[in-house]
Amino acid sequence: MSPGRRERGLVRPYVVTDGRAYPTRNTFDLVTLVMAHPDRPLPGLSPEKRRVMELCLGGALSVAEVAGYLELPVSVTKVLLGDLVDSGHISTRAPIPPAELPEVQLLQEVLDGLRARL
Amino acid sequence: MTDHISEAVSWCLAVALLVVLVLLIRQRQITAGVRRRNATLEDSLRSRDEEVQHLVDVRLPSIADALSQPGPLPGLRDEKLAGTAFAQSLHAVMEQFTRAVDRAQARADASAKAALKASMRAVQGLANEQQVSISEMQERHDNPDVLRDLLEIDHANAQFGRRAQAIAVLCGSWPGRQRLASSLTDVVRGSKSRIRDYQRVQVHSLIDVAVVSRAVEPVVLAVAELLDNAARHSQPNTSVEVSLQPVHNGACIVVDDAGVGMDGLEVQRAAALLSGQRAVDVSRLGDPPQFGFAVVGLLAARYGFSVSVDTRSPYGGVRAVLFLPTELLTHVDSDGRPGTAAQDPEDAEPLHTLPSRRMRAPRRAAQQTQAAPQQARIPHQAQPQVPHQAHAQVPHQARPSAPEPAPAPTPQPSSADGEATQVYGTTVGGLPKRRRREAAAAPPSADWTAGAGAAGAAEPDTGAYRARSAEETASRMGAFARGTRSGRSATQDSAPHHDEGNRQA
Repeated sequence: MSPGRRERGLVRPYVVTDGRAYPTRNTFDLVTLVMAHPDRPLPGLSPEKRRVMELCLGGALSVAEVAGYLELPVSVTKVLLGDLVDSGHISTRAPIPPAELPEVQLLQEVLDGLRARL
Repeated sequence: MTDHISEAVSWCLAVALLVVLVLLIRQRQITAGVRRRNATLEDSLRSRDEEVQHLVDVRLPSIADALSQPGPLPGLRDEKLAGTAFAQSLHAVMEQFTRAVDRAQARADASAKAALKASMRAVQGLANEQQVSISEMQERHDNPDVLRDLLEIDHANAQFGRRAQAIAVLCGSWPGRQRLASSLTDVVRGSKSRIRDYQRVQVHSLIDVAVVSRAVEPVVLAVAELLDNAARHSQPNTSVEVSLQPVHNGACIVVDDAGVGMDGLEVQRAAALLSGQRAVDVSRLGDPPQFGFAVVGLLAARYGFSVSVDTRSPYGGVRAVLFLPTELLTHVDSDGRPGTAAQDPEDAEPLHTLPSRRMRAPRRAAQQTQAAPQQARIPHQAQPQVPHQAHAQVPHQARPSAPEPAPAPTPQPSSADGEATQVYGTTVGGLPKRRRREAAAAPPSADWTAGAGAAGAAEPDTGAYRARSAEETASRMGAFARGTRSGRSATQDSAPHHDEGNRQA
């Protein structure tokens, strides 16, 4: 239905979002993971939303990746994703929290401290 | 004797009288004839004078007027003169005058068109440039407030570009942009992008057919003019319905509005313009100029589609039907390559080739984490060294969506994750790209040029993935968890910065 590589600049972003610039929810980050629900009906979706579903049915994708594949600005993609979350087509998950990983700054401070000592 | 004499005299007198009488009568007749003739000649002279006056007052101006409203030219005022040498001379004058007017008109028209065309091309170029900058801005800014403003500017710019394009086309220019073959739905939505009331346009029935590359821009422009007419001539609270219909030897784009409609005369005029047969005179499109139908007619004649507006819409307004013959249609496969339309839609459904070129997400990720100064520097580095540098410099607060560096010394996740995460060259900005899963479908696309690094170039550019089964997903998730665990344990006893990169399956 929607070709993989589309002509850029033909369908402008305001047509894609129907003039809206604000996502219905402010929960999207560049790295928020998006997962599609395969049981939701596809008819009635705009071509871009359909394409999001097709992309995400293969596995979770980050918002940045979805935007990259759609060749749309991230902010526009967020509006689409907001709609899809509202209609129950996709769900989102926060990425792996970086807090579990050791802080570079902390390690650097420790290193500096050790160097200062020794 | 005297009697004889007097008798003779009286006879003579009588004869003379008779002669005089006869002569008198004859003279009278001749005079009357001359007078009649005189009167006729006078009449004829007057009528010729009047005829010349008529020529100057009525017939010659009517030639000049006929340029704007073609109609029958007035003939001789006095029919009696028809066929005379005088009438022929008058006719010759008319013809010469007509030729002179035509020539002057053609010259004026040509120079007006040339001037308009040149200036409109310049305006068009500026509009296109502006559109590129607006698109870049839309990608650079993540703030919805900024996006809203940009969308407004973008909308105004698109309309502005369309106007310039329409006038340029009317002046004999080409529509300008060369586009890829695009689906009919995108073509209609592209047209929708270029009119003021785009939100009132509802596109129904998405059909799986595409327009060939060379016809995309003209069809977009023609449909945009039809949509603009439809939206302009209907109430602001009504909608303009567009439906796409496959027909026997082509496809139709049907535009219905719920407006005032057109009367017979308007339909006739529109049909004449839409046929594209008559040359369009730019200086006579009315005030304000109405070039919609003229442009559509020109494009239709030039590219071989047809448009009719002579049906009434079921909503009460006008129904415009744009018919695209099969020659202008194609199929677009999922690679965006036109013409290879062998796959069924069912077959095509699960298999989607992802665009390998220009993955912009990583670049944006880099742009938006400019708080990390090291990362902001990366795009300027030399291409092949990038993975190492990125690896060495990116702190691990970096967004996990920043892709996995290629020859990274983190073997555990890679082996655990199998072939799922691989690096495919670098982006234009210098960041490595990754591919979600190896598949064996698509050949490398021809225009894969974006600075592919050595590692990426060595890999076959396979760009398809399939919908996964539940088991596969589960095993991947398991592998993912194992990989993360081992990666973390490895991280703790080696360098701290081996663990960035969002390694989802």
